Amino acid sequence: MYLEVKNLVKYYYDDIPIIKKLNFSVKKGEIISFLGESGSGKTTFLKCISGLEKINSGTILLNKTILNNKNIFIKPQNRKIGFVFQDYPLFPHLNLKDNITFNLKPKFVKNLDYMISLTRLKNLLSRYPHELSGGEQQRACIARALIREPDLLLLDEPFSNLDSNIKFSMRDEIYKIIKETNTTTILVTHDINDSLNIADRILIFKAGVLQQYDNPVNMYCEPANCYCAKVLGDLNQIDLDNKTFYLRPENIDIVKKSKHKVYIEKCFFQGKEYRVTGKINGHSWCFFSKIPLKLFENVCISYNPKDLIFFDSMCNNFFE
Amino acid sequence: MEIKNKTLVFENKRWVIGSVLLSLILLIPIFTLFYKLFSYRGNSFEYLWENILWDYSFNTFYLIFITAFFSLIFGIVPAWFISIYEFRGRKFLDVVLYLPLAIPSYIMAFTYSDILSFTGPIQTFLKKNFFIISNFFNQDYLQIEILGIIMALALYPYIYTVSRLSFSMVGANYINISKNLGLTSFKTFYKIILPLSRPAIFSGLFLVLMEVLNEYGAVKYFGVNTYTTGIFRAWFSMDDVGTAIQLSIILLIVVFSFFYIEKYYNSKRKFYYRTNSKIQYLTKLLGLKKYFVILICIVPFLFGFLIPLFFISNNVFLTFYKTDFGDLFELTYNSILVSSISSFLIIAIALFFLFVEKISKTRINYFISQSISMGYAVPGAVIGLGIIIFFTYLDSLFYSFTFLGSFILLIFAYCIRFLAVGKSPIKSSLEKHPDSYDDTAKNLGLGPLKLLQKLHFPINKFALITAFIVTFIDLMKELPITLILRPFNFDTLATQTYEFAVEEMIPLSSIYSFMIIFIGSILLFFLKNLINKQANVS
Repeated sequence: MYLEVKNLVKYYYDDIPIIKKLNFSVKKGEIISFLGESGSGKTTFLKCISGLEKINSGTILLNKTILNNKNIFIKPQNRKIGFVFQDYPLFPHLNLKDNITFNLKPKFVKNLDYMISLTRLKNLLSRYPHELSGGEQQRACIARALIREPDLLLLDEPFSNLDSNIKFSMRDEIYKIIKETNTTTILVTHDINDSLNIADRILIFKAGVLQQYDNPVNMYCEPANCYCAKVLGDLNQIDLDNKTFYLRPENIDIVKKSKHKVYIEKCFFQGKEYRVTGKINGHSWCFFSKIPLKLFENVCISYNPKDLIFFDSMCNNFFE
Repeated sequence: MEIKNKTLVFENKRWVIGSVLLSLILLIPIFTLFYKLFSYRGNSFEYLWENILWDYSFNTFYLIFITAFFSLIFGIVPAWFISIYEFRGRKFLDVVLYLPLAIPSYIMAFTYSDILSFTGPIQTFLKKNFFIISNFFNQDYLQIEILGIIMALALYPYIYTVSRLSFSMVGANYINISKNLGLTSFKTFYKIILPLSRPAIFSGLFLVLMEVLNEYGAVKYFGVNTYTTGIFRAWFSMDDVGTAIQLSIILLIVVFSFFYIEKYYNSKRKFYYRTNSKIQYLTKLLGLKKYFVILICIVPFLFGFLIPLFFISNNVFLTFYKTDFGDLFELTYNSILVSSISSFLIIAIALFFLFVEKISKTRINYFISQSISMGYAVPGAVIGLGIIIFFTYLDSLFYSFTFLGSFILLIFAYCIRFLAVGKSPIKSSLEKHPDSYDDTAKNLGLGPLKLLQKLHFPINKFALITAFIVTFIDLMKELPITLILRPFNFDTLATQTYEFAVEEMIPLSSIYSFMIIFIGSILLFFLKNLINKQANVS
């Protein structure tokens, strides 16, 4: 494995760890998405990998070299890890070219033209950060990280400061750049759509513990627990035979006659189809419809029992 | 759960250890005074308690009260008018209202005592033209109340500066909401703007109080017995080191109490409001109200700068033929040289401490940063006394080298006293830049020294220049430390002004005062433009 994280523990001033015994590995050239809520320790994790924070116990190995364990700590400047921060910190006193080549070793200068054309920044080189748009600043940060041919690229919420139009195009662009340079990448985000769009594998992180680490399809179809299931998409709760089951919205069909009736509360067009929300036996449900449905009326629905997802009773608390 | 290392691991240990050692050196005078207080055996405290302490305490606090009261009025009211109204001369007044900072309190006191004296221009004019009422004005003006107002005229810019910035930052949104909720301009001011600006105003007021406690020249000239004059008298006139130490400790306790109150108050009353995001449209003034506002804004400038400057310039003109230009150039050179070297050192030390605080992120460095900032609150006389006691002891150990009377000690004392002045602009500038700059730079391969050199030095360039100018102006005006610690036969513009004044030769002192004001004013003009460009003050 290219990157290996073994039993990583990180805490600050007290005994409450932010990261509890984290174990996972990444293959060369893979894009991993680290998915978790705000404040769950995602950025701390990236800082541990990059050496900006020391870990309290465990081991981090990159390309068979130990970066940090009980006895070894390689300084951030010696790790060959590129880091793109959330707020695109381009140095305000330097123009774009000087930012990209900041403290660059001579052997990497040859990459400048390629990186500039890859990130489409050719005409902006003399501009200062305040003269650039959010997207341009972000591309510059990526160019600054990639020009040094890092062994690993860390992206910390790279799309969170962009509006939706730019965000989608930036996502595609970054994906292309990373794949073209075959750079092993960890993307930290709280947005599942970003993960599904870019990542080869997704790591779901909650309360300092890894919940599931798998490819997007397996994650969606076979969630390890309720939390992972909920993170990957909407779930509708249904009580059958004194047990609680869950159902994805796309597995619900509208029919003419059925014993299951949903009282429609909202129906809106979202491009391809209508998204409908309503109540059934006191639970809020959502599903899709090809035609608009009348509000405040009952609609019959059906589903295939095979699509029902069941979790143990402990797991249900995730939805509270 | 395996948690192996529970001790606090801090980064950049060498830098942290360096900052701890340097801070201990800077705190030597304070430690020395406390050590001497507890090791001193004598009965001077009974004498102090029974004879002078109450008089000194009453005068000190009464002077503080008067100066604070008038400084608040001279500082806040014009700042508010200039922040919300548009009128002819507004921009000019905004710049010149800072200028009294260029005039030291003692020069202001000498000048006004001369203006108001029996032989001064006012009484001479009245005697010539209105003889009947001239007797009424023939009073002893060397009173504590008059001194308080004069010091307020010299010190109000500390409050004006912070109020102006704060009123401008609070900004248009809150004013618009208040108007929408039906508040008048006055109600908006005292119900919204004033409470939001209170922490900033309190910091300005704290500086005023510290300047009053530090003042020596003006209070000595007016014959007002405060703690500071008491220290000088006990030490130099009565050769009673014990009383001087005890008075210094009392003064330190007063200072630390104010310091603590300021910190406590500001931490309790700190509001996290959105700063001015919209351009604040100024209200255009018409009719009588316009003249009233202009008059209110002109008064502090007129009495705090223009009249003293006019009087001093007139004296310079009248005594021009008596001026020893060789002496004047030498003293100007001395003042500029010693202020430049000290400012440069102070900025370097301040940057070092702030940088270590930033990269280490430890409580130790936060504590160090707070401790060394207290130097500004410690009066020059106290620092001087602490240094002399400590280095007298040190000199007794090294017979071959004498520290006392050397430039090193003078510059050392300046560094202790004015470190906080240099630190403040650099600190605000460093806080503006996100931590991700440092993280990115480290990630791109910079060690601490290169981080300082390649990143923090260039991006905080304006703050460093601002810090240098502010410190330089303060050092040019400095009197008590220079009087105590200057090398033999070494004078500056400040000490020469003081010496002529106490010899009742105020006209002859004017050319030296004029040089201090001239250099200070030019730098203040430059600084004001720099700050306005940086802060985008509306």
